[in-house]
Amino acid sequence: MKSLVRQILFSLTTFVALAIISFLGIDALPGDGCTALLGRFGSDANIEACRQKNNLNDPVVVRLRDWSSDLLRGDLGYSIKRDEEVARIIAPRIRNTAVMGFVAALMAFPSAIIVGLLLGRYPHTFISKVVNQFSVIAMTLPEFVTATVLWLVLSLWIPVFPGVSVMPSNASLLQLLPNVWLPALTLAVVIFAHSMRTMRTSVANVLNMPFVQSARLRGTSERAMIMRHIVPAALPPVVNVVALDGAWLLTGTFVTEAVFNYQGVGRLAVDAISDRDTALILPIILFGLAVYLASSLLADSLVRVLDPRLRSSDR
Amino acid sequence: MKALQSLNFLKDRVLILVVLGFHSLVALLAPYLQLPATDSQDSAALLQGPSRSHWLGTDFLGRDVFSRLLHGGRPSLVIAFSATAIACAIGVFIGSLAALAGGWIDDALSRVVDLMLALPTLILLLLIASFFGQDPLVLSVALGLMYAAPIARVARSATQTLLARDFVRVARLQGGSRISILFGEVLPNVWRLMFTEVAMQFTWILLAFSSLSFLGLGASPPTPEWGLMVAESRSYMTLNPLLVLAPIVMLASLVLAIQALVDHE
Amino acid sequence: MTLDPVLTQSHFLVFNNVTVRIRNEPSDTRPVLEAIDLQLEHGETLGVVGSSGSGKSTLLRLAAGELAPGLVLDQGGVTTVGTNLLVATQAERTSIYGGEVALVAQSIGESLTPHLTVKGHFRDTVSGEVVDDQVLESLAEVGLGGKKYLHRYPHQLSGGERQRVLLALAIVRSPRLLLLDEPTSALDVSIGSEVLTTIQRLQRARGFALICVSHDLGVVSQISKRIAVMNQGRIVELGQTSRVLRSPAHQYTKALVGSIPRHDQRVRGSRLQSNEKILVCRELSIVRGETTRAIDSLDLAVTRGEVLGIIGESGSGKSSLLSAICGLVPVRSGTIHDGDGYDLSTASQARPREVLASIQMVFQNPDDSLNPMRTVAESLSRYTRATNTEMSSALLSVGLGEQFLSRRPREMSGGEKQRAAIARALLTKPRLLLLDEVTSALDVIVQAAVLRTLAEIQHKLNIAMIIVSHDIAIIASFVDRILVLRNGQVVEHGSVADVINSPRDDYTKKLIQISAQRSSV
Repeated sequence: MKSLVRQILFSLTTFVALAIISFLGIDALPGDGCTALLGRFGSDANIEACRQKNNLNDPVVVRLRDWSSDLLRGDLGYSIKRDEEVARIIAPRIRNTAVMGFVAALMAFPSAIIVGLLLGRYPHTFISKVVNQFSVIAMTLPEFVTATVLWLVLSLWIPVFPGVSVMPSNASLLQLLPNVWLPALTLAVVIFAHSMRTMRTSVANVLNMPFVQSARLRGTSERAMIMRHIVPAALPPVVNVVALDGAWLLTGTFVTEAVFNYQGVGRLAVDAISDRDTALILPIILFGLAVYLASSLLADSLVRVLDPRLRSSDR
Repeated sequence: MKALQSLNFLKDRVLILVVLGFHSLVALLAPYLQLPATDSQDSAALLQGPSRSHWLGTDFLGRDVFSRLLHGGRPSLVIAFSATAIACAIGVFIGSLAALAGGWIDDALSRVVDLMLALPTLILLLLIASFFGQDPLVLSVALGLMYAAPIARVARSATQTLLARDFVRVARLQGGSRISILFGEVLPNVWRLMFTEVAMQFTWILLAFSSLSFLGLGASPPTPEWGLMVAESRSYMTLNPLLVLAPIVMLASLVLAIQALVDHE
Repeated sequence: MTLDPVLTQSHFLVFNNVTVRIRNEPSDTRPVLEAIDLQLEHGETLGVVGSSGSGKSTLLRLAAGELAPGLVLDQGGVTTVGTNLLVATQAERTSIYGGEVALVAQSIGESLTPHLTVKGHFRDTVSGEVVDDQVLESLAEVGLGGKKYLHRYPHQLSGGERQRVLLALAIVRSPRLLLLDEPTSALDVSIGSEVLTTIQRLQRARGFALICVSHDLGVVSQISKRIAVMNQGRIVELGQTSRVLRSPAHQYTKALVGSIPRHDQRVRGSRLQSNEKILVCRELSIVRGETTRAIDSLDLAVTRGEVLGIIGESGSGKSSLLSAICGLVPVRSGTIHDGDGYDLSTASQARPREVLASIQMVFQNPDDSLNPMRTVAESLSRYTRATNTEMSSALLSVGLGEQFLSRRPREMSGGEKQRAAIARALLTKPRLLLLDEVTSALDVIVQAAVLRTLAEIQHKLNIAMIIVSHDIAIIASFVDRILVLRNGQVVEHGSVADVINSPRDDYTKKLIQISAQRSSV
């Protein structure tokens, strides 16, 4: 328990430290919200007026202080370029990415774990070698390649799914669904291999451990071997991978979203960066940080549940 | 016996070595082959299929696809090699130093590495590419710095394993200085443990740059680069599918070959 | 190979001219098992002794119907409790294992599933309602009485307790044949001895047949009436334990029996002591981690040319003591000086070259002592800057020829690697040589040879030594003075004769008694 609290504290301090570093880093980049809005064609006078209006000329420390107190109140700021509250821009995007990520996770993780278990347990079959090859290919193809190929096959040549989506970001869930499948499938392919191979390697390692042989020589049934001995021992590394890739599903999907023009957080990030809309970029970075730190915490807690040796309450 | 093992290792991987050899030759020799210039546009022959003068056809600006294809790996490979070199140099140094020094130095360095690992690397990459122009030097350094963190972590644990080994303790007892032990006992053994990790990072960096180019933030037109070629030609898929498929095949085969080479399964 | 008189027909386990080879190896290589003929009858106890590579573990596995995937049965067959287990179906095996035949594997590392409680382990084979009673009974029989063990996890148990749980798991369904693979090699001598007593008791009470495999003749002789001695895949001698030990027939067995250290048999003559002290410790305390006192207020002195033996089991602090003397580990309190008054609490990297050179150490694990990427010459000369001549003569003094200069660790046996490590330590011409369990990882015959070499070196160079071992017989047969270490404290101290003949401390007495038991037949 104590170490869990310590970890939460550590994550929080990491978050705060990185948030401040991000703020300062973004601030150091050339340009600001006003130049983003008015671009190269804005006259110096207009830009200056815009800056006065938005307090952009205040010293860094003041702006940092204002920004952090706003943040603590839940106010994510205001995008000058898009003339809208950041929260209202980001929220539907997060929802869209989350839906896509959730579907992708459902497609990928359960099947990856089961396939990994089977391949690890029965490694020398023909199917094992075939699946291994496919997973290697799936894992190493760049995301844009997988996305493009899937789009080609399942949208252009065999029109199963809609390809590029044309709905606005705050469309209803029902309108969103048809557009989710293809991007989600792309993401599922990209992450499937990682968890599957981790599970497979982990199972193979566990099978070599003395306690597995001990159990078998005691007459334990195959089913009991797998469910009670092998799986719980093999899961910890997989939990870490699932957490990592799960976090990625929320924060790293801009290539897929770009290919399908899916209105998620990733697409927003790319647009915001192209537009130099700094007010938008910063919260997106913070979102990514928060997701990563939260998933690490979750993973560590889960691993602790699985492995009694990590629970420090005894001895 | 060891030599025999290496030979067997290579024998099983003949196909992989052929692919890698092909890519190496293409990347190195492309400018010296008598190919049409990669940016010469022939407005009379747009989006043509394969022909005698254009072996793989032309793209939407009339440029020769075959030539662009053979040149297309060079930008990403140059960046991947330099970034990987930087990442290794920094990562291995920091990681092994942290493990050797122990104490507060180790704690401090590990915290820094953890912080770097928490950063969303690709977003940062987009940022840097977008704001600092698409200067290959800047990108290499940025990529190198970002990927130094995972390498540092592996280097640290590899070094810790090594330090516990008796022959390192003996070195200390026989008067070996820390530096001498680092370079003599630790680093050579660490490299062997890390070879796989470094190769994987190399492919990630390669892919990251191609993805950046795909998004328009890596290599800039008219540079021939596989990711950029895929992005540019997407709309013309139906007219000349080779435009998209050829660069995909090149990129995929290179990355697959490298990963298969170091894969231990 | 000598066979004893014909046994009765109720052969419980039969090996019939069994030969096992490595898959895909040419037929002129030495097989893993060659022409094994063995019969075991109901309730009989058999010990199988041999060094690593003798094939004894493979033989045991075969008795359980298990053959590693890389091996193939070239000839012959094995029948266990009437069935050929090698060709049995999965279902048949599952019902036989634990029921008729039980194998307790070597418990290095985790032989118990880390995420299951003790009770959880039993649930695999003992179902439903009768669980608790049957389980408690089994646990009590192996010496783990009471309900508290049911809910413990393996990492909360000591080594001895884990071994007992494995035994309880093996006997809970009353098998008729129990197979044991190195049952005590992962345990301290005193704990191991208790476990062996428990096994003996179980066997007498329940009457199962027993095969016990070990590299340790003492272990095997304690619990088996018959012994099979194996070397390089063959059974070289088979007979009643007492006969084999008293008058071995085969050459290998003779060498084996002769190599076993005995606390009443000197390997090295004692020397007259000088008065010149070269190491003095006063109230030395060493702390490991945050709070564990590895060494508690220890006093120690070593004189020039003297051999001091330290007996200690795991947790006694012996390794911490040696590490502190070398400066590899910090000292918490107390003083430690060498013969010239130099303060040895200084860390090794801060010590001047002469001081470093005067104290050298050889470690336990032969596989770890030499950098795998270097030749012997490189490993020996890298920090000592020794010349070829110096290295050759050092190698010669440990019994290795010049050709070893260009060998790499992977081309050398365990004994050869340890000798090279000793040669390396001698190159700096130390006054004091620390030997931390240097023969524990070696086969008994190799161990005896290395000890003889060490005796020669000690005699020739008049070098002081501190030898650490868990084996009182090795210590007593070699050293001049003995120190018994327990939980960081000295519990006995004196000359060999004094300590062995009139021990004062109970722990020492127990260790001597166990050693005596093992060498008597």
